[in-house]
Amino acid sequence: MRTPLSAALSENENILRSVYADCSDAVFRRFAVGGQTSALLLYIEGLTNVEEIDRCVLAPLMLQTDQPPSGPPDQLANRQIPVSGTKPVADIAGVVEEVSIGNPVLLIDGQTGGMAFSLPKWEKRNLEEPKAEPTIRGSREGFLETLGDNMALIRRRIRSPRLKMRSMEIGRYSMTRVAVAYIDGLADPKLVDEVMRRLQKIDIDGILESGYVEELIEDHPWSPFPQVMSTERPDTAAAGLLEGRVAMLVDGTPFALVVPASLFTVLQSAEDYYQRFWISTAIRWLRYFFFVISLLLPSAYVAILTYHQEMLPTTLLLSVAISREEVPFPALVEALLMEITFEALREAGVRLPKQVGTAVSIVGALVIGEAAVSAGLVSAPMVMVVSLTGIASFTIPRYHAGFAFRLLRFPIILLAGTLGLLGIMLGIIAIVVHMCTIRSFGVPYLTPLSPARGSMLKDVLVRAPWWMLNTRPQPVGQLNPHRQSDNQRPGPDTGGEQR
Amino acid sequence: MNSLISRYRAWLLVPCLALTSLSLAGCWDRTEVNDLALVTAAGIDRAGENAVELTVQVFVPRAGGGSQLGQPGSAAGDERSVVRSAKGKTIAEAMAKLQERFPRRIFWGHAEVFIIGEKVARTGIREYVDFFLRFSQPREHADIFVCKGEAKKVLELIPPLERHQAEVLRELSESKVSLHVTLKDLAEMLVGDAGDAALPYLTTLPPPVGKGQQHTIAYIAGTAVFRDDRMIGTLNQQKTRGLMWLRDEIKFSVVTLSPEEADGFISFYLLRSRTKWLPRIEGDRWSMTVEITTEDDVVENTTSLDLLDPEVTRALEAELEREIVRRIELTLKQVQQEMKVDIVGFAEIFHRRYPREWRKVQDRWDEKFPEVEVRVEVDAKIFPHAPGSERAARLLPVALSAHARPDRSRRGDVPLDGRRSRPLSHLV
Amino acid sequence: MPYNGKITPVQMAFLLHPTIVATALLLVPAMTERHAGRDMWLSPLWALMAGFATLLTAWALHKRFPDDTPIEYSERLVGKTAGKIIGVLFIFFYWHGSGSLLREYGEFVSGTFLMETPTEVIMGGMLIIAAYAVRGGIEVLGRCAQIMVPVVVVLFMTLILLVSRNLDPYKLLPMLEFGILPSLKGSIVPQSWFSEIIAAAFLLPSLTDRSKGLRWGVITLLFVAVILSLTNLTVLMLFGELAGRLVYPVMSAARYIEIADFLEHLEAIVMAIWVFGTFIKIVVFYFLLVQCTARVIGLSDWRPIVLPVGLLILISGIWTAPNLQQLVHALGTSIVFELLLIQLGIPLLLLAVALIRGKKGAPATAK
Repeated sequence: MRTPLSAALSENENILRSVYADCSDAVFRRFAVGGQTSALLLYIEGLTNVEEIDRCVLAPLMLQTDQPPSGPPDQLANRQIPVSGTKPVADIAGVVEEVSIGNPVLLIDGQTGGMAFSLPKWEKRNLEEPKAEPTIRGSREGFLETLGDNMALIRRRIRSPRLKMRSMEIGRYSMTRVAVAYIDGLADPKLVDEVMRRLQKIDIDGILESGYVEELIEDHPWSPFPQVMSTERPDTAAAGLLEGRVAMLVDGTPFALVVPASLFTVLQSAEDYYQRFWISTAIRWLRYFFFVISLLLPSAYVAILTYHQEMLPTTLLLSVAISREEVPFPALVEALLMEITFEALREAGVRLPKQVGTAVSIVGALVIGEAAVSAGLVSAPMVMVVSLTGIASFTIPRYHAGFAFRLLRFPIILLAGTLGLLGIMLGIIAIVVHMCTIRSFGVPYLTPLSPARGSMLKDVLVRAPWWMLNTRPQPVGQLNPHRQSDNQRPGPDTGGEQR
Repeated sequence: MNSLISRYRAWLLVPCLALTSLSLAGCWDRTEVNDLALVTAAGIDRAGENAVELTVQVFVPRAGGGSQLGQPGSAAGDERSVVRSAKGKTIAEAMAKLQERFPRRIFWGHAEVFIIGEKVARTGIREYVDFFLRFSQPREHADIFVCKGEAKKVLELIPPLERHQAEVLRELSESKVSLHVTLKDLAEMLVGDAGDAALPYLTTLPPPVGKGQQHTIAYIAGTAVFRDDRMIGTLNQQKTRGLMWLRDEIKFSVVTLSPEEADGFISFYLLRSRTKWLPRIEGDRWSMTVEITTEDDVVENTTSLDLLDPEVTRALEAELEREIVRRIELTLKQVQQEMKVDIVGFAEIFHRRYPREWRKVQDRWDEKFPEVEVRVEVDAKIFPHAPGSERAARLLPVALSAHARPDRSRRGDVPLDGRRSRPLSHLV
Repeated sequence: MPYNGKITPVQMAFLLHPTIVATALLLVPAMTERHAGRDMWLSPLWALMAGFATLLTAWALHKRFPDDTPIEYSERLVGKTAGKIIGVLFIFFYWHGSGSLLREYGEFVSGTFLMETPTEVIMGGMLIIAAYAVRGGIEVLGRCAQIMVPVVVVLFMTLILLVSRNLDPYKLLPMLEFGILPSLKGSIVPQSWFSEIIAAAFLLPSLTDRSKGLRWGVITLLFVAVILSLTNLTVLMLFGELAGRLVYPVMSAARYIEIADFLEHLEAIVMAIWVFGTFIKIVVFYFLLVQCTARVIGLSDWRPIVLPVGLLILISGIWTAPNLQQLVHALGTSIVFELLLIQLGIPLLLLAVALIRGKKGAPATAK
């Protein structure tokens, strides 16, 4: 593939035809430049803007018969071809690469080297609100599947030329284009280098989604916790870049990757920063609280009911005892059964076509819950617990972060069923220890809780108002810690009223 | 491949062992709620010379899938609790025998009430207190009572309102109409400087006409007095009230008196009270001044006195103070002089103020205690209210004192519906 | 840099705090009450003496040998053989210590919550997780402590708050009825606990900011004294002289809480405090044991011995006493001497030797 293009068009054409043998979507357009010189335009139907080719490339070259254009393709491009993006190609590999991203390549008999024109066009989605991360306040633009569009979406938010985007290709067959974006001067060059290094190490047949990349570059592949943040929102990615992080855009998927990630970045939602700080702080606390509930509620229920009955207030215990009188299963089995059913329901709800979806939720809620209770298969408190847990898990804004905790719920339920509250605590300790061991691109996962960085705590425990967030989160933003000037707190002019 | 396994062998071995042991042996402490017999109250009685009878009241969860209001409670079907007893030489033995009679494991975690039968109380309760303190399940917060007759009979009563007797007793105890003693309090009393104890004393309320003998509740009729750990007598309700004044535990009291200046009665309702003790030792003379500060509301006034007149109020306050002192001194006489039991906590108070002198007499406190001169000083404040105010209406949940109905023919009288002829509404 | 990792001084404080307090909270108040009576709340303040003595000795030695743990500089100071003997003493000490610590934890959980479960299982479960943490190295330990200890402190304060309405300050009187002797006598056991701060000697070489080491050590000691004193005060004000008869007064205090008919039986809070705190202490001891062993034997990498040492700790825990009463008795008597001798005595000895020899100890090369 590294063969340089020869001057003989027929040679080039033969090689290219053999490369693209049996590709019925590859179009080899032979034509004569100015009626005289043979030329070949190679493109892939469906990836290229054919009207523009006809108008801007073929027309000027073919139709100008009085002064036939001649010369190497770059000269021609200079003078005759009104296309804004051009790129010379010198070898077969270059031709293949350009053609494969939708850029037609022009080869002229008698000239070494060809020219590729940037005229890609294909069917793509319109800009839509990101389905996985909707917000009430904030932009409604989500990334698309095309790398160029995604880069543009970021560039529109960070217009400074210090935003760098480095492209590379990954995947033997997919040759997926991946762009690494960072802000020069904010992102630690070592981090950028590390990201590039890990990406370049990837040797795989194809990258179809950023998830592949994520799994191939993360620090701790065996950990259930995500160490890379993935987002569908350009504003989230841009915010990450402004903090000194590095983003990776993968062609073919709207999900961009942002590293390094910590537990708290995956627990945040973009909207946290758009609403005023009171509501954001309150919602943040709500989220933390429910996140704990989603992990621990079913296990706490099982543990207390089975081992520590004295902890319930008497009246409550008596009611629960009554409701459990007819249930054939022990609390542990009941809990596991209900939780698994709930998870199955949730998954089914995601995969079902829309029309059936509502029916399923009604079926799930009413029928299963109510009927199961009256049939005496489960107890009413259990249904309550499971639904509450489910609701709690929905408060985690990022779907993929929620997974870890949904998964971990089950081992903890088992621990609770065998060792009671002690089991739960051992489980919590194990999880905390694990989170203390992992890092994401060098940043400990639980920053800023530990190692504690005081200045960051005000963005994690609460959400301090914007005029207080003067420093970039560390250690990512260490290179350039000040992101805004101090003393920005607004207030009325102290000039006072006119006397 | 070999090196891989051998490298991770240590890692694999330990968890495997752990997991297998878990699955083989099962979960040891697991008890389903439905395998438990939830004890709500327990009673201790004498059964012959050296035997105890332990009675427990156990809650029965009536299944119904959530519709407990389905059937109205009929006489037999409304039994939400089961009462069983067993005898043994010690309490532990009785407990073991009791477990034999239950298909479910007896669970003491919610036992909130313990009743000690009078016979047992008279022979000594120390061992039982010790046992219950050590035994990890029951709460130190449980309420303890002494009852007239047999504890077993009390537990078998069926209360009309609450679910079971235990709840009745607990609520009564919490309302602080009488002494409220928990297991911890009892232990402290026995271990404390005086070594004497007092417990609320239960009697059965006579059942309403028509219902069976059992459809009634037990209520607190007074206080059982213990020297060391043996019961030696009781105090009636009035004297119990006096005792509570002395112990700074009074929360609820209505004093009715007939003032000298007018005919009729005035009822005062206690709002707040604080008792302070001032011990003094002069040579060999030990004296204690009990200072009580109290604020009372006037709840009912059947006289023609104008309560807003400061002269009248002052006079009434003086009379109230005298009345309270009288009551307390009645109690003191019985407790200090007749029973010679220090259940008012004077021992502790002297110990705190005069540790050295206390140490000299601490072994013969039961001789010294009756010699302590006690002076009771009461400082009462009265807040008259216009009748008909919301506050007055709310304050009187139980009418405790009887008084004559006023004759409406008198001028300026307060009719029972609360309206007054004088314009005072602005004071509400 | 001894342990391939660094911790911040604050993290060291968080590691040292439970090392002293975790077990002291449960068994020590009852022991103190038996000796000191109503003055038991003063005892922790007296016990600070041993704490400061140990800390200052550790600090002085650290300044002379900034990069070494006591194992290393003992060899330098008293020669290879004697140094190795000291090292072995430390090994046995930490082995015994972690074993009895594990046993205390096991007995507590077993005695109050999971009565049927064999103690070995309870201890083993904790040990597995501890092994995982220890393998992560000192940094993981520091981070864990930084997260768990604030939670423990908050829970503890909540407990005190909830029980506060049942407290009777009059139970504190008369104060100093028999002079300061009872509280001093009661402070002997806590003194031995406070000397556990010798663990700082092993941690100081890995600090990111060594100048702050002493300051945070002092802060830790003061904070520990405050917490213990507060505990004793609360127990005293709740139970009076009854406190000496209860095995776990703090636990009984938690059981006594009853608010609004709803918040009852909060012994789970005590269990949480206990389990989290004990975890950190176990992990610290475990880690130190591994380190001492590795260094005395001369291993280059301490990671592989973590699991075997764990098993040995489990065995030691089972061996150490036939039942709880004997353990408590030992804690109140012979173990006091053991703790003070090794944690205070040996460092003082080393310091004396160092002083005699003059400023021996050039900046050391790290292992």
